[in-house]
Amino acid sequence: MRLHDALRWLAADAPVPVFAVAGAGAREAVQRLRLSEELRLVDTPRAGSVLLVAGGIPESLAEPLARVHDALPHPRCTVWWGPESEGIVARFPDSVLVHDDPVGAIVSAHRDLLAGRRRSDPPILPDADPAPWRGVGPYGQGGSGMTGGIPYGRPMAELGPDRDGLRLDVLPVTVGPFFPRFPVGLALDVTLAGDVVVDATVHPNPFVADGSPPLAARPGLAAFVRALAEPVRVAELELARAREHLRWLADALVAHGLPSLGSRVLRLAARVGPGDGASVRDLARTLGWTQVLRWSTAGVGRVAGEDARGIGGPVARAAGAAEDARAEDPAYRALGFAPVLHRGGDAADRWRQRLAEAAQSLDLAARAGDRRAEPRGRVESPRGLLTPESAATTRLLPLLPPLLAGQEWGDAVATLVSLDLDLEEAALVARQVAGAVVG
Amino acid sequence: MRPDASPLVAALAVGGVLLVGVYLVAVLDRVVGAVVAGAPVRVGGLLAGPVRAAALLLVQRYRGTERFDAPGWALAPALLLGLAAVALGLVPLGPDLVAADPATGFVVFSAAIAFVMIAVFLHGWSPNAVFPLHGAYRYAAQALSFQIPFLLAMLATALPAESLSIVEIVRAQASIWNVVRQPLGLPLYLVVGLAVSFWGPLNLPDGADLAEGTSAEDAGVARLLWQAARAAMLVAVAAMGAAGFLGGWWGPWLPGPVWVLVKSVALLVVLVAAGHLLARIRIERFVVVAWAVLIPLALLNVFIAGAVLL
Repeated sequence: MRLHDALRWLAADAPVPVFAVAGAGAREAVQRLRLSEELRLVDTPRAGSVLLVAGGIPESLAEPLARVHDALPHPRCTVWWGPESEGIVARFPDSVLVHDDPVGAIVSAHRDLLAGRRRSDPPILPDADPAPWRGVGPYGQGGSGMTGGIPYGRPMAELGPDRDGLRLDVLPVTVGPFFPRFPVGLALDVTLAGDVVVDATVHPNPFVADGSPPLAARPGLAAFVRALAEPVRVAELELARAREHLRWLADALVAHGLPSLGSRVLRLAARVGPGDGASVRDLARTLGWTQVLRWSTAGVGRVAGEDARGIGGPVARAAGAAEDARAEDPAYRALGFAPVLHRGGDAADRWRQRLAEAAQSLDLAARAGDRRAEPRGRVESPRGLLTPESAATTRLLPLLPPLLAGQEWGDAVATLVSLDLDLEEAALVARQVAGAVVG
Repeated sequence: MRPDASPLVAALAVGGVLLVGVYLVAVLDRVVGAVVAGAPVRVGGLLAGPVRAAALLLVQRYRGTERFDAPGWALAPALLLGLAAVALGLVPLGPDLVAADPATGFVVFSAAIAFVMIAVFLHGWSPNAVFPLHGAYRYAAQALSFQIPFLLAMLATALPAESLSIVEIVRAQASIWNVVRQPLGLPLYLVVGLAVSFWGPLNLPDGADLAEGTSAEDAGVARLLWQAARAAMLVAVAAMGAAGFLGGWWGPWLPGPVWVLVKSVALLVVLVAAGHLLARIRIERFVVVAWAVLIPLALLNVFIAGAVLL
């Protein structure tokens, strides 16, 4: 008993392992928590003591979220941050609700948990097998056959052709909607043959579904959404763009196994101001020797030629297509703006493209003075052309199945990361269209 | 250990060194991480960090996944820890100070490294879940590719010693260390050492793209043990590297065991820093590089070492 108390006392001062789910409007805020010394964001719910749910969570994600919740080991607790999902919170009755400082609330809830002042969250879902095991044999493997179908509710490996012309086991799995390397809400049905993706289909965007809480543009995107309808200072837009690119870079570095470097970039993203292009160029040089632009992304996920046309944004420009709404804007033309381009269109080029654009944006922000971008109903967001009808992510999602098929899983993840998908931005646009139809 | 020391003392000594080594890896990892992240380096917090994190894992209660293989899950970290202990037990701290010095020390070490694949596969297989299993198969591909260059790089060190005993391999470096005699050896050994201990750029079975792969379903004590076992393997690889290439106990002014310690820690720093500074390599590229570049280089290294002896 004494040993147990001593362990609890020691554990109370450890950084709290948090599995964080960033709902609508909360992506930047959750990302900033990576810099907190009192928390440690983890990649799997099994490694967490606290489940943090931030921002708006659509109703359709309530059950997957409950599954994540139940995967946390005891003692555990749930913290909801922000007022957006009050409908769902009711399904997580033991939760702590906070509106401002989540770190303090998480740390104190965790201490209460360890000290026994708070009970560990009971499971939300019934603690039962998803389907009864009725198979023959000690492992209920389903009797005579080892392959095929979904005996007893569990998908089994089946035979399918592989890329070398052999017939090997393929396994259907669903990845998402809270897979840490994907944007929240993105779920894929993937068929894997070993490490290779045979095919992939994308689930519908949960933020678009009926009954989801209303979306407000995230802080990092607010300026671009405003610029659709009103004049916005070029300096503000370009600084927001550079920061959004750097925040993407921070996440991308985590995905490539470099979380410490990711934190450094996140600090830089918060610090940069107009005219800091040189610090981003220094960063680009540093990334040269981490090999992140060579052995982990070169030749991966190529979107080039016809495929890249009409996509817009860094993905198209990385493939040499000079699609940039800023080029049509008189304010940008007066600054001598010309889009940065790369040729290859692979993941490495998209990394280089965003780094170069972040540096260019900071330079532009320094020279823009008080110039304003005129509202023309279309604006170049960090991900590409944003209009009330279309966002870059809506144009990129249909590309995913053919792009991912045939790739190894690690490359598929690297590809997805390099595309910088944003289901919220896509949903924002879809809502606008729906609103227009209703109106 | 002196030859007359009891096996119990030897085992305790190896266990103690492993425990300290694991703690050291955890602290080094935090220090390097904080420096790379540009975060403040607080000595107190960094020193206490691993102990607190371990305490937190020890108080967690966890029931496991659906239909997991309990014996396999429990055995995997124990096996990996045991293999690290076997490898470390072969590393001499001085001419008479070694837990075990079989005449076939190199063969025992090779066998321990070969079994790492079993431990990792078992760890990925047991939870009965997708990502762990995926990681397990990945490590199988990785291990098939790294074992030959790893053992060839080590084998070259046995040539100048004309013995497979690790003590003799160190003794043969009295006048010149293998890192000078075989300049290809240490870089090859370190690259492949990262793959053996699946660390940093070669942490493919437990990588971020698999949400921690074979560890994705680990919680509580199981997570702690697996992390400790991984760190122990890194310690064993570093210590054996110090013995095989950096002259083990040889060095001026300081006593032999201190030299072994200094050299092992230096290699540990290199390995841990690689984890924070090099991106995850693609498995396909690693397999191609291992077979097309590392094995020919390792063979060249062996041929040169042999030619020098003639």
